[in-house]
Amino acid sequence: MNNDPVDVLIIGAGASGAAIAWSLLETRMRILCLEQGDHLPDKDFPSRHEDYEIARYGAFSCDPNVRRLQQDYPINSDDSCITPVNWNGVGGSTINFLGHWPRMRPSDFRTKSLDGVGEDWPLDYHTLAPFYDMNDHNTGVSGLGGNPAYPDYKPPHPPIPIGKLGQTLARGFNEKGWHWWPSDVAILSEDDDGRQKCVNAGTCDLGCAAGAKGGTNFTYWPMLENAGVELRTRARVREILVDESTGFATGVLFHGADGRVHEQKAELVIVACNGVGTPRLLLNSKSRLFPDGLANRSGKVGKNLMFHPLTGVAGVFEEPMKGHEGPMACSILSQEFYESDPTRGFVRGYGLHSGRSTTPMTYALGGYGIDSPIPWGAEHREIMDNVYPYLAGLTVVTEDLPEEHNCVTLDPDLTDSDGIPAPKITYKLGDNTRAMLRHGEDRAKEVLLAAGAKRILTKGDDKVWWRAGWHQMGTCRLGNNPETSVVNSWGRCHDVKNLFIVDGSIFVTAGAVNPTSTIQALALYIGDQIKTNIATLFD
Amino acid sequence: MSEHSNIDPQSPLDAILDVLIPANPSRNIPAAGQLGVATFVTEAAAQKNALNTALIALLSRAGELADGITPDTVRQLETELPEAFNLLLVETYKGYYSRPDIRALVGVGAHPVHPAGYEVASESPELLNELTAPVRARGPVFRDPPGGQA
Ligand SMILES: Cc1cc2nc3c(=O)[nH]c(=O)nc-3n(C[C@H](O)[C@H](O)[C@H](O)COP(=O)(O)OP(=O)(O)OC[C@H]3O[C@@H](n4cnc5c(N)ncnc54)[C@H](O)[C@@H]3O)c2cc1C
Ligand code: SF4
Repeated sequence: MNNDPVDVLIIGAGASGAAIAWSLLETRMRILCLEQGDHLPDKDFPSRHEDYEIARYGAFSCDPNVRRLQQDYPINSDDSCITPVNWNGVGGSTINFLGHWPRMRPSDFRTKSLDGVGEDWPLDYHTLAPFYDMNDHNTGVSGLGGNPAYPDYKPPHPPIPIGKLGQTLARGFNEKGWHWWPSDVAILSEDDDGRQKCVNAGTCDLGCAAGAKGGTNFTYWPMLENAGVELRTRARVREILVDESTGFATGVLFHGADGRVHEQKAELVIVACNGVGTPRLLLNSKSRLFPDGLANRSGKVGKNLMFHPLTGVAGVFEEPMKGHEGPMACSILSQEFYESDPTRGFVRGYGLHSGRSTTPMTYALGGYGIDSPIPWGAEHREIMDNVYPYLAGLTVVTEDLPEEHNCVTLDPDLTDSDGIPAPKITYKLGDNTRAMLRHGEDRAKEVLLAAGAKRILTKGDDKVWWRAGWHQMGTCRLGNNPETSVVNSWGRCHDVKNLFIVDGSIFVTAGAVNPTSTIQALALYIGDQIKTNIATLFD
Repeated sequence: MSEHSNIDPQSPLDAILDVLIPANPSRNIPAAGQLGVATFVTEAAAQKNALNTALIALLSRAGELADGITPDTVRQLETELPEAFNLLLVETYKGYYSRPDIRALVGVGAHPVHPAGYEVASESPELLNELTAPVRARGPVFRDPPGGQA
């Protein structure tokens, strides 16, 4: 293994690590990415195998505490109502993500000044817009231009079919006079650049063997490796090192595939380990200069953890909804209740997302992200024969507000297989979120009935989905004030001038949309700022 | 793994499984026991201690029940041994629905294995236009505060 110093060291080969590597490619700097997991050839995706559903409950679970693979780290979620989920390997969580691709909206960047909650971002939607476009092009995004919920933009590919389910629900929204739009998706509606268009099998979380889903294993990484970016797998970073005299990061210590600990030196270190992995790594990087964790003079590393708490409501229709035909998550999205309205009893808002139906085993076991089997016996037969095929559902995806007590810390006992302390999540739902969830459930029922549902199914309890920790944000937030934020407006740590963070941990607020289009747009923006400021980068 | 070999797949387990997921004869859908899910469950029990212990407890209690295996006695097992019962239920659903032949019968398609999939027609531009017309007619629904760097 060649551990010669590099110019740029990126930690994590997921959505954000890939995007910033692409942005920095043109600088001709020597770029190395260290990734704790491996490449996953598409022949190994469960979606290629007959017993694919079993994999969802074992080695291909989205929950690292279920998978327990060598490359995973355990997460203690005992003090949380939501557990973080991910994939650790080349592509990161875009291996098992569902490809729903909404952008954040202009008001998401100004929640403090508009609605008196959260904080304003130190940049705005219009600054990010060109980077959203660039990333949509690189990823292969499909959708319909002209969505009145956004300033004008047009996805590069036409929309994927919304299907019978989407059309039925759309008519319900029209009946109510509420906003809806075909979802933007990181899924190809037409063949593109050697990738095949979506085949509508609906097993998107089990690895998209068609290559239609824009995981970075299919988009950025092949391009980057061809261009000479070195991607070293099975390389788990234990600690980021600092020079105690200059305060600069000098590189990292990592556990290599050979089982030994190596030092890798670098001029510039970029952390892209997702909203739980990044604060974990910083908190594990203690030194005399940073006794509370690297770049943590503000005390904000790990604080303000946000998810998108969600719940689901389903309607039973008279005809089969064909919800199994098409990508799992994405058909239509309503943002009718996205912006604040004081009459609703909460601030900010939520989206109503129409998922398609999940596979039979997952439905029988309680649904995606839930462990709560449906009834057995005659009732089971009745549900599977006469309810399941007739379902169309909506999920209420809420905006979580930043709250300091929701946080990532280090577990005093739990470690990964290399003995590195594991993260512990402390998280509870805020009252504002609970009010949103209740409001959203009621509106979802209304619109399902308007669309023709004969009966409504809800869980009827106050619980959110347990494995809804898909989106992990806020734990190293952006800001102009070094006392209240971890990185500046372009991702550079206030405390360590050659250390950058580019994943969802830098979000200031969460919006009520899936985050990855914004995470990657931000990473491209940060790459652009690094290039613009290259002469004075470390001043 | 110690005791799993004591479990005979032809035991009352088949009967319990048939109660958990009954057949639908009108559509030729077999019950879980008929389909042979007991083999899946006992093989899983060989790998998982907790399931193995649960199975032994459930089967030994089932053997004591005078009325044999009926929906009522299975309900009794659920009430008396809830955790063990839940483990068996989860494994039964896994074993049953991981069978491609069953997936094909459950009333929706089988979620085919890649690269196979479904032909789903794209909506025509006219249909999309018609559906989105009321949404567009209401105009922009976002707030766009004064921008720039905060
Ligand atoms: C099941 C599921 C469904 C989802 N669906 C959607 C969706 O529809 N739309 C959407 O926008 N988002 C979705 N997401 C979220 C999306 O996948 C993430 O937002 C996105 O991947 C985050 O990008 P990232 O670069 O921050 O982290 P990741 O993509 O998770 O990449 C982080 C990488 O860092 C590596 N790493 C971590 N620590 C270390 C270390 N110490 N040393 C070396 N390597 C390390 C990890 O192994 C990993 O590969 C979903 C996620 C999941 C799990
Ligand atoms: S449904 Fe489409 S996006 Fe999903 S896994 Fe299949 S081909 Fe990929």
